[in-house]
Amino acid sequence: MSDKKKQVTRRQFLNYTLTGVGGFMAAGMLISPLRMAIDPVLQPSGDGDFANVGLSVDDITTEPQPVEWEVEQVDAWYKSDVTRKAFVFKNDQDEIVALSPKCTHLGCMVSWEGSESHPDQFYCPCHDGRFTKDGTNVEGTPPLEPLHVYEHKVENGMLFLGKAYPRGEA
Amino acid sequence: MKWRQDDVNKYITAKEYIDTALLSLLPFHILKDDEISKQAYQSDVLQIFADELERELSGRTMQIPPYTYLHHTDKQQEVSRLNTWIKEIETQPFKHTFLITFDMGWKKYERQLEGQLIWLPVIQVDHIHDNELKRWMHENVKQVSELIRSYW
Repeated sequence: MSDKKKQVTRRQFLNYTLTGVGGFMAAGMLISPLRMAIDPVLQPSGDGDFANVGLSVDDITTEPQPVEWEVEQVDAWYKSDVTRKAFVFKNDQDEIVALSPKCTHLGCMVSWEGSESHPDQFYCPCHDGRFTKDGTNVEGTPPLEPLHVYEHKVENGMLFLGKAYPRGEA
Repeated sequence: MKWRQDDVNKYITAKEYIDTALLSLLPFHILKDDEISKQAYQSDVLQIFADELERELSGRTMQIPPYTYLHHTDKQQEVSRLNTWIKEIETQPFKHTFLITFDMGWKKYERQLEGQLIWLPVIQVDHIHDNELKRWMHENVKQVSELIRSYW
C-alpha cells in the first residue's frame, strides 16, 4: 500500500506538467510588460536632466544670445557627448526663454539675425526659413511649426536647461 | 542628413530640399609604425568635423559614407574611382558635392575632380578632447558652412 501512495497517476502527472508549463508561459508573458511598466524608474537619469549651461541669470538680456553645453546622450547603440545649443533671452514679460536653434523644417541650425534683410528674426540658411523672436515660424517660409523650447530652471543664480519640447508641450 | 535609415527615409520625402552631398576623403595606411598614430588621429578629427558640419547644415545636406583609399596608391587612379562615386551621387540628383579632406595630395588633381574640393590643414593636438581642438572645430565648421552656403 505504501508503494501505491507514492504513485502518481497518468492524469495527475499530466495535470502537474501542464500547470507547470502553463505557469511558465503565463509568467513569461507577464514579466515583460511588468519590466516595461517600471522601466522609467530603472533608467539611469541622464538625458532628461537639467544641465548648468554656464550662464548667470543676471547676464541674460532681451537680446538672444547663444549658449552651448555638453550632455551625455545615449543614441540607440552609442553613448556620446553631444553639444546642445540654445538661444537665451528675456521676453517682454521678463521671463527667461531658451529656444532650440534647430530649424523645425529639416533641422539646420538657425541664427539670430542671420539675414541682413530680416533683422529681429531667427534665420535658417538652408531654405530661408524664418522665425520671430519668440520662435514663431514666419508664414510663407518652409518651417511649419515654432522653434522648440527648452525647459529651464534657475539655481543659485545660474541657468539650467533640460530638454527641448515643441511649444506648448514643455 | 546622415547615412542612416531614419534620415534616408526623411530624405526620400524631402528630396527637393536636399541638394548637397558631403563626402569626406579618408586616407588609410598601416605600414609605418611611426606614422599611423597621426593617421588615426587625422581620420578621427575628419569624421568629427564631417559630423559637426552635417549638424550645422543637416536640412540641406546628405553626409555620404567616407570615401576610403590607401594613402600611397596612385591618385590618378583614385580620381577616376572618386569621380564614379560623384557621378552616382549626382544622378540622385544632388546639385553640389563637396569633398572634405586633410590630404593635400588631392589638391594637385582638383581640376579633374567633379566635386568641390575643400582641403583643410589639420591642427595637431595631444589629445582629441583638447580645448584647442574644440575651438579649431568650431571656427572651421563655421567657415566651411559659410563657404558651402555661398554655393547655394
